[in-house]
Amino acid sequence: MKHAVISCLHANLAAVKAVLNDIDQQGIDDITCLGDLVGYGPQPNEVVDLVRERAIASCQGCWDEDIIEGLNACECSYPSQLAEKRGHLAHEWTAEQLTDINKDFLASLPTSIRRDRILFVHGSPNSQHEYLLPDMNAFAALERVEKAGADTLFCGHTHQPYVRELKNGSIRVRLQNTSNNKAEEKEINLPMRKIVNAGSVGEPRHGSINATYVIHDDVSGEVEIKEVAYDIRQTCQAIIDAGLPPIFAWRLSHGFEFAEQAEDASHVCER
Amino acid sequence: MIERWALVSGLKGDLETYELIQSDLKKARGVNTLFVLGDMIGPERNCDALLNRLQNPRRGELKPQCIYGWWEEQLLAEQGLRGEQKADALRLNKGEEAVTALLNAVDSYHLKWLASLQFGFIELDCGLIHGSSADIGDNLTSQTSPLILIDRLTRLDVNRLFTAHSTEQFHLELTGGGLDSQVKELNGESQHQQKVSKQSIIGIGAGANYTIYDVGSDKTHFLTVSGQYNTKGKGFA
Repeated sequence: MKHAVISCLHANLAAVKAVLNDIDQQGIDDITCLGDLVGYGPQPNEVVDLVRERAIASCQGCWDEDIIEGLNACECSYPSQLAEKRGHLAHEWTAEQLTDINKDFLASLPTSIRRDRILFVHGSPNSQHEYLLPDMNAFAALERVEKAGADTLFCGHTHQPYVRELKNGSIRVRLQNTSNNKAEEKEINLPMRKIVNAGSVGEPRHGSINATYVIHDDVSGEVEIKEVAYDIRQTCQAIIDAGLPPIFAWRLSHGFEFAEQAEDASHVCER
Repeated sequence: MIERWALVSGLKGDLETYELIQSDLKKARGVNTLFVLGDMIGPERNCDALLNRLQNPRRGELKPQCIYGWWEEQLLAEQGLRGEQKADALRLNKGEEAVTALLNAVDSYHLKWLASLQFGFIELDCGLIHGSSADIGDNLTSQTSPLILIDRLTRLDVNRLFTAHSTEQFHLELTGGGLDSQVKELNGESQHQQKVSKQSIIGIGAGANYTIYDVGSDKTHFLTVSGQYNTKGKGFA
């Protein structure tokens, strides 16, 4: 059976509607969301309402946690101090806008969802804030999936969709300790595992302006990365009307975040 | 000049053992640096004499380079020096009595010094941490999955990690292997094979069991305070 996985909606109602419409047109009923329903975007209540109405199973993302717990809970690193300031503005604005019911809903979300040997998380099994990038050390990536007891790990957070297969792995070791005078040598064969990043519905950063999500066939194991166009101007106008930083609209219309990286690229949020 | 490090942990207030180690190190050729990887304190005995000595070495002794360990973290947490945390792990594992015993084992005079200690050192290509880069209580042993060991090395971006929390003495070397990675993105597919780098995890032991590392030859020697090698005096490359 096919199911759809969406992530990082970021209060972008037009993008969420377009993606859900695309999923509906394919006759897929089973949808899982990997969190970050809110943040940056201008329609936090509308997006949370829609996810609740559709009864979409959701994990809690770092932004969802941040809104509930306050800024100190956020360990996400921003690309610059200016970006961090804008992030704070978005946080405060979102926290003011969200209804208590929707805050309670975000607070109730689990950090992971497990279906047999498939695990759904926002960042990684370690943390909602950890980025599993497609080029991270392959052994460390495999460790995340293995540690979680999963065959396939679905994640988001990076806003860059990808499917990564890790296979044909082995590690040879030589062990010496105080109980053996002769070094013991052994080889460990590693299992095949898969990491699927669903990209982002409401804040794409993969180089295009379209929303992304993935469709997974749990029989064949195949994963299709989907790209969906939506009415970006509608969301951009809503960002301006809400008084949110205009650069949020600018980057939606360009699909990148690079404009903010030059100001202090070395800065890392240490909260 | 030969450079050799001595690595000690888990003294838990035992000044006598520390003095025996210092005595051994005076006789050992080329040992010019002493690292103490935490757990200098514990609940079993008063630790003030050892803490005084670590901060005020005697003439002719190696000056110890200390980091904090699991027991120090528990004490600092309980004393309010680690944010809002308390010694929850200790309380959960060993009960309220152990928390009280730990508080009584260390004079508050030493808290400032303990709180000033670092989480770990990076020296040359080596990480020196009580547990690991993931957690001070990370229990890395000779039986830990190599995948986890690679992850801990990767997080620190070093090729050798000296760890102490497990109290085990071992030298596990990653000697080979690889992993195929195939990535599909919207703009195409790419394949890559990651090779296992030659890296090592070294468990340095605790208390009377300590380790000497020969920086030049990359060999470790496991010793006890008696001054004898734990494996017939042979170094492990």
